[in-house]
Amino acid sequence: MIRTKGMKGLGGLVLAGLLAVVVVAFVVARTSGGDPVTTAGTRYAVTVTADRNTIDVRLDRGEADTVTVAAVMPAMGHAMPEATARKAAPGHFVAEGDLFSMGGGWELSVRLTGPPGEETLTFTTLVAD
Amino acid sequence: MIRLLRLFCLAVLLVVVSASPTAAHDVRAGADLRIAQTIAGAELTLVIKATTRVPGPLRVEVIGFPSAPALDLRLRSTADGRVTHGTAAPGRPAQFRVEETGPHELTVGAGGETAVIPFRVLVDRGSGWEFLIYGGLFVAGLLLVGGLLTGAFNRRGRPAVVVTAVAAAGISVAALIVVLEPWLPARPPDGAEPRPTGSALGRPYVQRVVTTVPARPAAGEEFTTRVELFDGSTGRPVDDLAVHHEAMAHLVVTSQDGRYFRHVHPLRTAPGRLEVRLRADRPGRYLTYVELERTDSGGQLLTGSFTVAGPERPTASPGPGIQDAAAGTVTVTPAVPRAGRPATVEVAANGTPRPWLGMAGHLIVRAEDGEFLGHVHEMGTPGSRLRFTFGFPVPGRYFAWAQYATDRGITTVPFTVEVPR
Ligand SMILES: [Cu+2]
Repeated sequence: MIRTKGMKGLGGLVLAGLLAVVVVAFVVARTSGGDPVTTAGTRYAVTVTADRNTIDVRLDRGEADTVTVAAVMPAMGHAMPEATARKAAPGHFVAEGDLFSMGGGWELSVRLTGPPGEETLTFTTLVAD
Repeated sequence: MIRLLRLFCLAVLLVVVSASPTAAHDVRAGADLRIAQTIAGAELTLVIKATTRVPGPLRVEVIGFPSAPALDLRLRSTADGRVTHGTAAPGRPAQFRVEETGPHELTVGAGGETAVIPFRVLVDRGSGWEFLIYGGLFVAGLLLVGGLLTGAFNRRGRPAVVVTAVAAAGISVAALIVVLEPWLPARPPDGAEPRPTGSALGRPYVQRVVTTVPARPAAGEEFTTRVELFDGSTGRPVDDLAVHHEAMAHLVVTSQDGRYFRHVHPLRTAPGRLEVRLRADRPGRYLTYVELERTDSGGQLLTGSFTVAGPERPTASPGPGIQDAAAGTVTVTPAVPRAGRPATVEVAANGTPRPWLGMAGHLIVRAEDGEFLGHVHEMGTPGSRLRFTFGFPVPGRYFAWAQYATDRGITTVPFTVEVPR
């Protein structure tokens, strides 16, 4: 009887430890991951969300006809070919394909042309694996 | 116990891989951003003062060595595009207001020259772990009180074990975080550049193109020295310079014969482009050395050269600062230094040195042929004596310039050192 109680106590402790690990792991995992990035230039302002296969560009200011994106991973010295984003809706452009060779911190240069002129907006974003 | 150990190992690993990165251009509580600039013929340090809250005020100060012109300032948030203007001069700081954390650009104008300094406004959000401490304790308390009230502890079997286990888990989480907090990765502050945890340090080398505008400057006439920086792996402009010894880049220009010396802090006029205006009084070959550091990387030295066309035209202004070659102010110990062995260079300063570029004194050493350049820092000798320790790498003749700042400006003490075979 005492033995079983001891076993149960141990089981409880193991469960407690497991829960603690799960909670901490969840919090650690939650702190990484990409968020939309808003960048304002003098002619255009964009909000960009990027994942491995899609770059979503929404214009907050300025009307663009063409939008191209060039990605560079500064830490690795990787440069990806320039991709042209298709116009999904007015003020909304989407580039699709193999846009990033790996997950991590990428520098995106979004080049916009349109009635306000040409401008390249450069910023850093996180791309999940 | 094993689990606890494992968790501890995980925490230690997290700390090791998320070692703090090289400080980029960040302004945050307790950390002013200090950037040296050579603009309108003046040597100055811009101080973007630390912020504690956003929205809130942002102050920009100017320190002149010894004086500085009034600067036209323009602050732009690159997140929302908001622009505000101001002016600053020594003793007359500019007051701005920032509405958002994150990337900003400070455009600095004086004497027809303009620099654009990118920086980030950060606000610490706390470690982010305390909610786990309070959460864990809250859950434990709730369950224990609930368990007592419902009498779960009086019954044998499953309910008591589950309630005890979950409550114990809550307390364990809280206790773990309390113990491990100093080692846990801190949450990035608001406005920080997105960066992956555990990113490897080091970035590709920088390639430079050093030119002058005009391409062949004439002696005695002002010209622009332009340094363009390119990433060796992607060919793109390098625009991720970290502030290194209080500047984005340090440019040393010397004439081949060592009689001309300038240590200046070029302006960022475009992404990956640094420019500074100079004047040289004699024709000949001039050697350039750029000291800089990319974000997350170590320091680099980039070299270049240009030619000044004749004839000789002595200029009225010898450039910013005082050239002071008063005999007897420099002592080298041993008097005949040996290659590869540390030597001590002592400079008796004329006046009380005040910090410049984060140090009391700087010593720049160039081999006569220009193949070597060293930058030595004063190691904090009290009083007005500056002491540098430096090992001349190989035998030969060296040109050296000791530099320090006083209320009178920057004093440069030129001297030569012979290192015998
Ligand atoms: Cu410097």
